[in-house]
Parts: sequence; C-alpha cells; structure tokens
Amino acid sequence: MKKIIVNALLLLAVTTQAQMKADDVKSFTLKNGMKFLVVEDNSIPNANMYLFYKVGSRNEYQGITGLSHFFEHMMFNGAKKYGPKMFDQTMEFNGGANNAYTREDVTVYTNWFPSSATEIIFDLEGDRISSLSIDPKIVESERGVVLSERSTGLENSPWQLLFQTAQGVAFLEHPYHWPVIGYEDDMKNWKQEDLERYFKMYYAPNNCVTVISGNVKFDEIKKLAEKYIEPIPAQPEPPKINIVEPPQTGERRVMMQKDVATPYLGIGWHVPNAKHEDYYALTILSDILASGRSSRLYSSLIDKQQLATQVFTNFGESFDPTLFIIASVAAKNVNENDLEKAIYEELEKIKKDGITETELQKIKNQKLMEFYGQVETINGKSNNIGTYEVFFGDYKKMFDAPAAFNKVTADDIKRVATKYFTKNNRTVGILKSNTAE
Amino acid sequence: MRSINKLFLIAISICITMQLNAQTYKLPPYEKFKLKNGLTVYLMEQHEVPVINVSVILPAGAIYDGEKAGLASLTATALKHGTKNYDKLKLDEELDFHGAYIGTSASKESTSLSAKMAAKDKTKILTLLKEVLLEPTFDAAEFDKEKKRTLLGLEQQKESPRSVIGSYFDKFLFGDHVYGNVVQGKISTVTPLTVDDLKKFYSENYLPEGSAISIAGDFNKAEMKTLITSLFSTWKKGTKPQVNLASQPIAKPSKQQVLLVNKDDAKETTFYIGAPGIARNNPDFVSIDVVNTLFGGRFTSMLNDELRVNTGLTYGANSRFNALKNGGSFAISTFTAGKTSEQAIDKAVEVLNKLHNSGIDEQSLTSAKNYVKGQFPPRFETAGQLAGLMTQMFWYNFDESFINNFEKNVNELTLDKAKAIIAKYFPKDKLQFILVGKAADIRKIAEKYGPVKEIEIKEEVKKGF
Repeated sequence: MKKIIVNALLLLAVTTQAQMKADDVKSFTLKNGMKFLVVEDNSIPNANMYLFYKVGSRNEYQGITGLSHFFEHMMFNGAKKYGPKMFDQTMEFNGGANNAYTREDVTVYTNWFPSSATEIIFDLEGDRISSLSIDPKIVESERGVVLSERSTGLENSPWQLLFQTAQGVAFLEHPYHWPVIGYEDDMKNWKQEDLERYFKMYYAPNNCVTVISGNVKFDEIKKLAEKYIEPIPAQPEPPKINIVEPPQTGERRVMMQKDVATPYLGIGWHVPNAKHEDYYALTILSDILASGRSSRLYSSLIDKQQLATQVFTNFGESFDPTLFIIASVAAKNVNENDLEKAIYEELEKIKKDGITETELQKIKNQKLMEFYGQVETINGKSNNIGTYEVFFGDYKKMFDAPAAFNKVTADDIKRVATKYFTKNNRTVGILKSNTAE
Repeated sequence: MRSINKLFLIAISICITMQLNAQTYKLPPYEKFKLKNGLTVYLMEQHEVPVINVSVILPAGAIYDGEKAGLASLTATALKHGTKNYDKLKLDEELDFHGAYIGTSASKESTSLSAKMAAKDKTKILTLLKEVLLEPTFDAAEFDKEKKRTLLGLEQQKESPRSVIGSYFDKFLFGDHVYGNVVQGKISTVTPLTVDDLKKFYSENYLPEGSAISIAGDFNKAEMKTLITSLFSTWKKGTKPQVNLASQPIAKPSKQQVLLVNKDDAKETTFYIGAPGIARNNPDFVSIDVVNTLFGGRFTSMLNDELRVNTGLTYGANSRFNALKNGGSFAISTFTAGKTSEQAIDKAVEVLNKLHNSGIDEQSLTSAKNYVKGQFPPRFETAGQLAGLMTQMFWYNFDESFINNFEKNVNELTLDKAKAIIAKYFPKDKLQFILVGKAADIRKIAEKYGPVKEIEIKEEVKKGF
C-alpha cells in the first residue's frame, strides 16, 4: 500500500440485524460537488477519513496503464503549502497514519488519526487536492518504488501472474484487460503531462466521496469541509467509459510457466456488476462454494478427494461487469486437468440439484457475523459506507443489503449458477513448471 | 501490502498509548481468576456488537519440538481434526453453520486458540472450543491428509523469499538455542511424524497451570464465570512440571557474517540485517519501541525515507524488534531489484550508522512519540483485540498499569535517554546478513559484508550453519 493495489475486491458487509442504522450516517454535499458521509462514534478517541475517487485502471488506456496507481503514490509527494515529504511528516507528527489503495474502479485514500488532529488532516487533504505539485525528480524516484512494488508481487506469489494474465484473456477490449499495476514498459514511460492531465481530470472534488467516522461532531466536520475543501473548484465530469466487453462465445485457455511445486489454477466467468439484480445471489453462491471447511469446494476437493490443498473464490463489487473466479492449487502428483474437472463436477451438482435450505441459512448466519465484524471498528464503518456509496450508488443500500440477501432463495442460486457457469463463458488460467510437456 | 503499517508490532504487538494531550486511554475493567487446576481466566464485558471473542494461550510452542521440527504446529492444527463428540466433518459443519470460528496455531514459544461466535451461540460454541482443547481425538486418517498438505506447503514456501527469510534469520542468529527452531517444520522432520507423536506432545505440553483463557464480548460476567468454570475445571493438571527450554543462555554472534540463499529464478534480492534484540520484559521496552518507530517503524522512518523515498530502491524498508520471553532479535528488512542489491544493502547499513553517529533530534523524537500515542487506541478497539491483549498480559506477565501508564512512559522519554537507548540496544557491529536472491549475481557483493555461507533455497537447513 502507499500505497498498494487491491485487485481482490473488498468483501462487503451485510446483515439481517444492524447495530448501526442508516440514520447514524449523516451527509452533506459541498457547492463544488464533494459529498461527505459522517458517522459520530466516540468509542475510541480517534477518527478516520476515507476519500473515494472514482478513478482506477478502468480509466486508463494502453500507453498509460498503471497510471492511476502511480498517481496514488504521487498524491503523497508534495503540494503548495505542504511540500515534498511534508504530507507524511506533518501527519505523523500529529499522531496520524495513512495509506491508500488503487483498484480497477476507484482510488481510495485513508487517514487514521487522533481526533484532535482532524483540522490538520483537512488542511493536508485540501492542499493536495487543490494544488498538487508534480516534481519531475520525484516522479523518477517514485517510478522506482512502483517498479519494485510490481516486482516484489511477482516474486513472492504465483497468483499475481496467474490472475493478471487470465484477466487479460477474459477481457479483450474492456480496460479490465490490463493489470492495475500496469505494464512494465508503460511504467517506465509515463510522462509528466500524463500526470498533470490525470490530476485535473479525475482529482476534482465532484469526483470524490469522503467518509469520516470516529470521535468527531457532524457540525464541526461540516465547518472544516467548508473552510478547507469548498473553495476548490469543480471540474467537468470525466469522460465516460464506453467500452462494453463483447460476450465471450468460447472457452479461453492460457498457460504460464513458473518454477512451482504443483500447478496453480484460476477459472473466471463473466458476471454482472454490483448494481445488477444477480449480485446478491452470486455473493451467496461464492460463499456456498468456498467459505469455510464445510463449503462445497473445500469439502470435496481438499477433504474428500484430496485433489487440492487450497481453494477459494473471488467475486466482488465493480462498476462494470467483472469476473467470478474460482482458484485452486493442485495437491502433490495431481494433474491440474483432474482438479479442473472436479471443480466443474461440483458446479454441475449445483446447476442440477441446487443447494439445501441449511446451506442457505448457513451463509446468511455467516453474513451476519461478517457484518458485526465490519461495524465493530470505525475503519470498517468508513470503508463499507464509502464502498456502498460509490459502487451501489447509495450508502443506504448497505442497510438494505440484509433484506436483499434474505430474499435470495435456493432456486436463485441454482438459476445464477446455470446462467453464468457455462463453458463458453469461462477463461481458464494454468500456471505450472512444465508447460512445455 | 505496504509493510510499513505493520512494522512496529513488537513481537505480539503491544504498542500501547493514547491520545495526544486528550483523555487518557484506560483498559476497560476486567476480572481475573484462577481455576483449581491452575488455569487463569480473564473476563471483560464489551457490548458494542452481540459477539464474543476468546483467546487461549498455552506453553506449547515450537521451542518444545526437540528434533521433530513442526510438531507443535501440527499438534495445534490437528486439534480440529475431531473431538470426543464431533468428528472433523461435524465440527466444521457446526462452526460454519453458526458463522463461528475456532482457530488453532503454534508460534515459537506458545500455542494459541482463538474463537469468535455470536453471543446467542455461546454455550454451544464454547462447548465445542472446550472439546477441541481438552478432548481432541487426533484422528490418524485426518492427520495423514494434513501432513500431505503441510509437506506441499513447505515446498511452496520456497517459491516466496519473503515467506522463508525469517526462518533462515532465526536459525542463523540463534543457532542451537530453541529460539532458532522453525515453527512450520522441515520436510525431513514432518515426513516421519505420526499421531502418536502428537498425542505425546499434547499430553506433555497442553497443561492448564501455565495457560490462560480470556473472553471479551457481549456476555454477563457472572454467568460467564459459571460457564467457563464448569467447562474447563475438568482439565487435569500435568504430572510433572514443564521445563522452560528457552531459559538457556543465547549465544551472541562472534563476528559479522552472511548467509546467502540462492534462488535461481529470483529477480530481486530480499534481505535482513540483524542482531540480538531484547526480551519482552525489558524495562526499556516502550522507549525502544518509540526509537524504533523513528528508525524503521513508520512511513517517514529513517530507513524508509532513504531506501524508498529518496532513492526509489524499494517499495518499503523497515526494522523491528521481535521480543520473546527470554530474548529476541532485531532486524532491518527490505528487498530490491537484483542489480541494485549492493546499493540497497550499503544504504541500509549507512542509515544504521547514521542513527549511531548523527543520532536523532528533538523534533523527530517528538514526532515518534506523538505517532506511537496517536496510533494506539485502534489497537484495542474490538473485543477480539482486547481478548488477545489479556492473554498477552498473562504470557508476558504485565498488567493494566502497562497500558494505563503507557502515555506517561512515552512522554517521559527524553532525548538523552533516547540516545542511550540507541547506544545500548541498536547494533553497531557483528551484524548478521541474510540475502535471498540469485547467488551468481550477488555472490561477490555478499563477500563485502563478511564470510559467506551459501545454501540453495531448496536445500534443507541443517542444525546450525
């Protein structure tokens, strides 16, 4: 992080019974279009500020891939009032810490601080949003940092190479085609003017939602926002992303070589975005398959058949249609084709026989516990409220989610499994040591 | 991950502080008592969400592995392979259905269990936890499956320098002392393990008198006291006292030296530069934490500033003290592209020298103090964190005064004292270098820092180097 890439989509909280209510979130919008969501919570003498900018690798094109993430780094490297290094130095001197992450759809900045430092945090944010200064010398040293970030990811986990390659094959036209970190050659060639244009186009107050939770007062936050943020002018709305990935009409397969003990397997199916009606059923299906040791895939592949040593799913919120991923690592002396076949057999069972009411209830129980975990901390509150606001269009949907999940039936699970888990809709990535054989 | 945020977890992360000049953070009230069998119990009511968290700590860590590296770890894992009344399948189903969690794991010195459950399920899940802890069956068929997964995991670890460098470092630094034991084990030692080994390890080391259970969350203390007493009083005392193997003296390195771990396909060099550290009960613990924060424990730290911000050599550089009961380690940790290895290692050593030679100033010390205090409260925000804190209080023998006086202790750190801390606890010489990378490219560089011992990443670490 600081600033890290989160490819894996953040898990959202849902529930059937909320400790926290929609009314606990108070909101205002400044004249320049920046929306604020505030939760007063004095359980600890701290607060946070999460800024969600609607810009990510989705807004890039070939030649500038990775620029959103690089820009995230540059946001810490100096502005008008607080010059190079001063953002971090000032924040830490005042007891605060920060981080940031970039995804395909959004770039999120996170500040955690004792609430006594709230005004300084506003001053720091206002300074960099209004008058970031992009020093060419710092651009060069920071380029080394993100190249190291890319390299260390590839060095320490086979999943990074596997997922970014498979995603590039699953999306041939839509910008989800390239990795959030960018292509190495693009990373070495970003230009000063690319950065300057990016700042003007995307880092406008009207392209940002800010969430603050903690030991603060709504009225004071509003005053500080009016003082430090409201004078920053709005910008024209960023260009729309028009590309829609054409339907996939045949299975795609891709192989990668790396010196690994046993093959790694990742399979992705195209599925809709967060605003689609199937989102909730797909979320539950993801848990039915891989949440806990009693889940379908763990129990069958790891426990009973011993074909795999790891299995997990990945499905989360996105602006545009995304992938539902099943990933697994083959056990010793297991052929990856047998593992792949066993995964499909489990999916066929759901398509044919559906799931049991007990399984469905199990996931609903797990979702409730997950929700408690999320609202237990002020950081969980801010992250979830902001994520619902930008991905679902309204933070209140976070509080409607329980009902939406409860409405999902066993038949819905069967229906979405049948609809999306088709051969023609899938991309299969295999990473192993002996690709030449 | 941006490693920086996790840096100054000293051992099990008791970094305590409070708000700058505002209300003092106090540990919420808790009750501590002992059962007749010697088990220590901590209870703390926390009603923010209807959830209960449990943390258990036992003196059953890898220091008791003997020649069977990995034994403590696999014993902990195998607790969940079935109990008197629940086979593994049924246990997994019960936990999952209730959205509950029981985790078991061994570390260097201890074994820990943690559990999380909805408050309404407390009787059911705490009974399961009791069975997992007191009535495991160590099923042979399940163990056989687990062993295969573990052996593959040990092979896979070697695909990631970051995953293995810590074990190499501990072995290199601690030598034959039990703190050099590798928690996850080795292929040669895990292969012959049987459930009989596990049962023996369990009966010798899973004892109530050296253990504690802490429960924090949405319950009534009196009711919980009755429930816990009835569940855990059946745990029998050990028949002979456990010998503390970690109390043996730790030999200090006699010279500066290098361990070079060759990974043929490495594009980076991942490295540690380390030395002996401190025990958790060191009276200067808090001051050392503050100084380490400014040296290598936060984003603007001297190390990260030089290796990342000024030079772009790495995504992150940090330092930490890993403090155990009887001693510990200090390590600078970072990574860089193969071709910048020498530059990065030189820089890291240079920053350490700078800490000794130019020292630190009032401004940076104040900043570090503010930072440590300001980042404290979120560490004890949830019931799960508080349950973990209470078992740490038991394990390292401190009480709430450590927490409640933390701000005061931080504030009392003067510049003179900080300088004394640097001279006393931060290494100057006899540094231990661990380099994981492509040996053909960095062998010459490695020789610059001392005599080099070279091994293959796929080769097994022998007893000592």
